[in-house]
Amino acid sequence: TPRHATPSIPSRSAPARKPGNVLEEARARLHVSSVPESLPCREQEFQDIYNFVESKVIDGTGGCMYISGVPGTGKTATVHEVIRSLQQASEQDEIPQFRFIEINGMKMTDPHQAYVQILQKLTDQKATPDHAAALLEKRFSAPAPKKETTVLLVDELDLLWTRKQNVMYNLFDWPTRRNARLVVLTIANTMDLPERIMINRVASRLGLTRMSFQPYTFKQLQQIITSRLNRVKAFEEDALQLVSRKVAALSGDARRCLDICRRATEICEHSAGLQKGSGLVAMSHVMETLDEMFSSSYITAIRCASLQEQLFLRAVIAEFRRLGLEEATFQQVFVQHQALCRVEGLQPASVSEGLAVCQRLGSCRLLLLEGSRLDLLLRIRLNVSQDDVLYALKAD
Amino acid sequence: MTSKRKSTALTEAQCVSLAQKILRERLCQQRLPEQPVGLESQYRHLLELLKRTAVHGESNSVLIVGPRGAGKTMLLGCVLRELMNLKEVLKNVLQVELNGLLQTDDKIALKEITRQLHLENVVGDKVFGSFAENLAFLLEALKSGDKSRSRPVLFILDEFDLFAHHKNQTLLYNLLDVSQSAQAPVAVVGLTCRLDVLELLEKRVKSRFSHRQIHLLNPLSFTQYVEAVGSQLSLPQDFPHPKFCDEWNRSVTKLCEDKSVEELLRRQFNSSKDFRSLYMLLFLAVIRVSPSHSTLRESDLLEASRLISADSKANILHGLSVLELCLIIAMKHLNDTYDGEPFNFQMVHNEFTKFIQRKSHTIHKFEKPVVMKAFEHLVELEMVRAVDSATGKVQREYQLMRLMLEHGQVMEALQKYPQCPTDVKQWALSAFA
Repeated sequence: TPRHATPSIPSRSAPARKPGNVLEEARARLHVSSVPESLPCREQEFQDIYNFVESKVIDGTGGCMYISGVPGTGKTATVHEVIRSLQQASEQDEIPQFRFIEINGMKMTDPHQAYVQILQKLTDQKATPDHAAALLEKRFSAPAPKKETTVLLVDELDLLWTRKQNVMYNLFDWPTRRNARLVVLTIANTMDLPERIMINRVASRLGLTRMSFQPYTFKQLQQIITSRLNRVKAFEEDALQLVSRKVAALSGDARRCLDICRRATEICEHSAGLQKGSGLVAMSHVMETLDEMFSSSYITAIRCASLQEQLFLRAVIAEFRRLGLEEATFQQVFVQHQALCRVEGLQPASVSEGLAVCQRLGSCRLLLLEGSRLDLLLRIRLNVSQDDVLYALKAD
Repeated sequence: MTSKRKSTALTEAQCVSLAQKILRERLCQQRLPEQPVGLESQYRHLLELLKRTAVHGESNSVLIVGPRGAGKTMLLGCVLRELMNLKEVLKNVLQVELNGLLQTDDKIALKEITRQLHLENVVGDKVFGSFAENLAFLLEALKSGDKSRSRPVLFILDEFDLFAHHKNQTLLYNLLDVSQSAQAPVAVVGLTCRLDVLELLEKRVKSRFSHRQIHLLNPLSFTQYVEAVGSQLSLPQDFPHPKFCDEWNRSVTKLCEDKSVEELLRRQFNSSKDFRSLYMLLFLAVIRVSPSHSTLRESDLLEASRLISADSKANILHGLSVLELCLIIAMKHLNDTYDGEPFNFQMVHNEFTKFIQRKSHTIHKFEKPVVMKAFEHLVELEMVRAVDSATGKVQREYQLMRLMLEHGQVMEALQKYPQCPTDVKQWALSAFA
């Protein structure tokens, strides 16, 4: 890598087009990336984290906090918001100065790279992982320069697991040093991560300051969308409610909710192009979107399969029924397949053709197959429920 | 050369070779068609999506899912061709193409991305720095970008499901994370044939994916299929020899209406609807055209279909010696009597000697080593396979084996076997040997 390279993406010759109509405006606002200034429905969590960090910064002590919750519940965004408002506060001299550093377990190739990234962000030095660990150890054992607190955010904590757990141990041990003035905020998905994967001396250093983010309820999701749209009138009230209820029932993931809304505006735009409609996203558009994003495609795939493929699926089920098992070898299924061919008045397929049909179904995962080297003896299982197959085959 | 061709009339032979050249390009080299057939809504969806990334700088992610040979790459190719024809797009978009079969781990994929983006740590064609440095550099570059000013990047991930098998799915996480945060605008397009691809993704990776899937499942009817055959085989209007072109196209139309050809196409259609296997069939027919018969005839198609649908094991059986055939019959009998239980060489040999002693007058008695050799030959051809692969522990004679042939295949092979001795045939037919 060149010494003083500034990594960048080349810029475009003409700037990007600005949103033209209401729907495009709504779509830009609904994009997951346009995070609002303050997150709605996370006021309590915001306050808790804020108080924790603020008190540590003011006292000049260190500490750890563990934040958990399923993906898409606003963990990282809330922490960022906390840091933003703390930075504002420190600019107005309400609280002492502090530094903010962020690392993400998924954005490094190996847990030990964490040392390298922390060191680089702290002091702009480049070092090997071992050297960086030693330097950081020295830095946090000695009194902090300028008596400045460092706030370290560790996202995707579970990826920092190593067999000896020394990376995690160090991360949680440094704040306990007398003059280190380090606050570590850790984020992961599972609530019981400390108990599950950490050995005792690591878990005890992490401490008991924990917080969990609950999945969003439908009311909260609705509020999030409304606040994002911010008086841009693009959705009917019922349509919003349907989206949020549907997502809340499944996962409570805000990202999913926003993506569905965005897709619904596209569908609305397209159908408005065909017939001059109201231009508002209606119930029908949302229904269509939900259908598209949630429905499994297995049934359509079976309906669109060729006749031999459909017969083969039928033969698989017939053989399962005969054996009373959920597994059969190709040889057994093939006998049924040939019988079915005769019943349907088709010319029976040869073994090679039968195998090809079977492999095609296996490659799109309607069937689960063993390796094709086993030839006649390869075992077949269904990847869909028998009822789905029968339903798909019956309806036409 | 071409002007000369236009001025002087082409000879028959030249016409044939030119026609073959055109059709070969169409059938084998997967030339992009003018317009994808039967995929209008998917085409529009994808085009709109990529256009928004290119023009408005909106980040997106999408998966194109469909069985093999359903035209995923063709669809994407057509969309990109149209996209790049727009003036405001052409010089404003960067394109990165990755393939799961080539970029088998994140390290290689990352180098490839850096190389294709011409980032600053690329010198010539080489990428410098370690894996960790490369990742940090790329993420830094993408982070420094911004929605309205930096060029959008189209990431095309062919064989997307293989990327899901990389360690921690780091690459997918980072690409999708960029697409969901305010950084350089990117569009991540994945192509896969697995319907259950979303189940492969980790929870946090899945949450960052926008769950847009474009399914290419073709609900083609048989008449549409035959139409497609007709249009694939006909020559374009700008063919330099109009008379030959007319004659050819007329013969193709006639061919499509022919009863036996229809039956053949119906059979192909029933076994699989994908176009790649159809093109293989048509290709085999087209290469049989020669100056001596300059138009496609039904016999060409019939011959091509015979070549394609031949059973591979039946072909091997035809090449066996009589002794090997006898062993296979013995094994078939063992399978019948003991209901598919595995057998060893000794049992087969006993069965075979019983036959020789009682019935056969044409096959003279072979020594045991000779029979063993024939048996080993069958093992090499994988007509017979060991039950457990613990070789070396058990003597060859006593290793348990299974026959890898269907009952019907053996009988059919016997019918067609050239000059098969009558008593062997009778032995095969008799239920109790």
